[in-house]
Amino acid sequence: MEFLQTCIDGLLFGSAYSLLALSFSLLFGVMKRINLAFGSTLLLSAVFSLWIDSLFSIGIFGIFFLMIASSALINIYVEKLCFYPHSGKYGATVSMISSFAIWMQLDEMSSFLLPDRTASFPSFLPDSFFLKDLFIRIDQLFLFLIAVFMTSIFFYVLYKTNYGLLLRGVSFDGELAKKLGVNSGKISSFAFAFSGIFGAIAAFLILSTESQVTPFFGFWCTLKGLVAMMLGGIGSLPGAIIGGLFLGLVESNVINYLGAEYRDICTYLILLFILVVKPGGIMGSALLRDERAASERI
Amino acid sequence: MSILKVDNLCKNFGGVQAVNGLNFEINEGEIFGLIGPNGSGKSTTINVICGLYQPSEGSIFLNGKKINGFKPNQCVDMGISRTFQNIRLFGDLTVWQNLWVAWKDDRKNQGSWFSNWFGKSESREKLISELLSFSGLETRANDLASNLSFGEQRRLELARAVASKPKLIFLDEPAAGMNKEEVKELRDRIFRLRDLGITIFLVEHVMDLVMNVSNRITVLNFGKAISEGDPESVQNDKAVQEAYFGQ
Repeated sequence: MEFLQTCIDGLLFGSAYSLLALSFSLLFGVMKRINLAFGSTLLLSAVFSLWIDSLFSIGIFGIFFLMIASSALINIYVEKLCFYPHSGKYGATVSMISSFAIWMQLDEMSSFLLPDRTASFPSFLPDSFFLKDLFIRIDQLFLFLIAVFMTSIFFYVLYKTNYGLLLRGVSFDGELAKKLGVNSGKISSFAFAFSGIFGAIAAFLILSTESQVTPFFGFWCTLKGLVAMMLGGIGSLPGAIIGGLFLGLVESNVINYLGAEYRDICTYLILLFILVVKPGGIMGSALLRDERAASERI
Repeated sequence: MSILKVDNLCKNFGGVQAVNGLNFEINEGEIFGLIGPNGSGKSTTINVICGLYQPSEGSIFLNGKKINGFKPNQCVDMGISRTFQNIRLFGDLTVWQNLWVAWKDDRKNQGSWFSNWFGKSESREKLISELLSFSGLETRANDLASNLSFGEQRRLELARAVASKPKLIFLDEPAAGMNKEEVKELRDRIFRLRDLGITIFLVEHVMDLVMNVSNRITVLNFGKAISEGDPESVQNDKAVQEAYFGQ
């Protein structure tokens, strides 16, 4: 029963990791853009919304929507500054390094808005109930449901809408799409805004279950998102979901049976193990497939 | 009525003059051939006109409008499209989706925000199904482009170039690697495009094809035009024979 309890806790919290990993995967895997500033974007949007809330008291739903909007805007700002000017083959490295600079800038802005280092974040539905012997927090259950819902929206947009189709075309071969008359700058901005929206929702859910925000939240997001994405397989969207859930399971079990101080050690050990045994990640053959496709000249 | 006019076009890469003072004019509805030995600047000419490179000198007019320095997507909006020497498709997407990505709406009746996202346009579906039957790929519409055979990929590329509703198509060696039967089919397709009123600019090494379909031919050597005229006079030109076979 104890094991079941930890697994449920892990899965519920892991769904937030999944959502975070999905928004990472859209940029890192689908668009092949390494945006190191993404975690800082999420932190800044949270801190900015809290700051506005302290001025005008916009309430928890106000914070939610403001976080989504500001995160999308900041992400477009990052895209226009770092990624738009450097397209093409060598652009990946250059834009990654410039996104590192933006990371610093965004973090400084956050610490400017967050002078007390730690601020409390409003939590919603801080309630819990027992299902037979299982203890379930309502906000975590809510988090899980929203994550499932947002994930289905994510896949719908990417695979069923017109922009999603264009986005997949641009991600396969941006230069070719441009030559065929696709406005790839617009599509890329759309992808950044989209991943910003999903990241902000994930960040909001995580922050409201933790009910506080610290200056390290940005870096924490980057780490968790990256690890979940790499566990699942870079470039594979179902992989990002599985990676997130798996990470949640591992963490909650380790905390329960070994103690909280072993959490990160075990996470990275498992990541290392998976990368050695299956370099593409659990679901991932995407990277290898791209290599193969390149050698087939298509 | 000339659709494309190229005036003293030059393109240098460092010290190499890939194209050097090229002049030609293409009339609406004709099939124009550009031939020449390897490295004579044929692909560079296409790339400059399609907006991939800036011309070093000279000007390009499309329907009397100067299009120097236009970006590739602006050139597509102006009604130019192309195929590539090496096949380039979206291997991740299906045949249908490949055509979809290249499809262009008329600038004037841009759809609403909602229909841009979710909408299905009837004219789009109609055009795409026409293109599928044009290229003989009806049965493979839902297969991934990377799973097509070589000949099918070539056909898809041609259909995709038509999907943006161009007035002028550049075909960069469309017959490379094809057998005789396939070249014949390709010839029929080129004629059908011409009958639709599309002007065709053909760069090709397969002489059978060029000599059979072109109305006029220009021969390039070392970036310069060495001969112009109808297929027969070009074939009999001394300068052309020297360029291809040596003295």
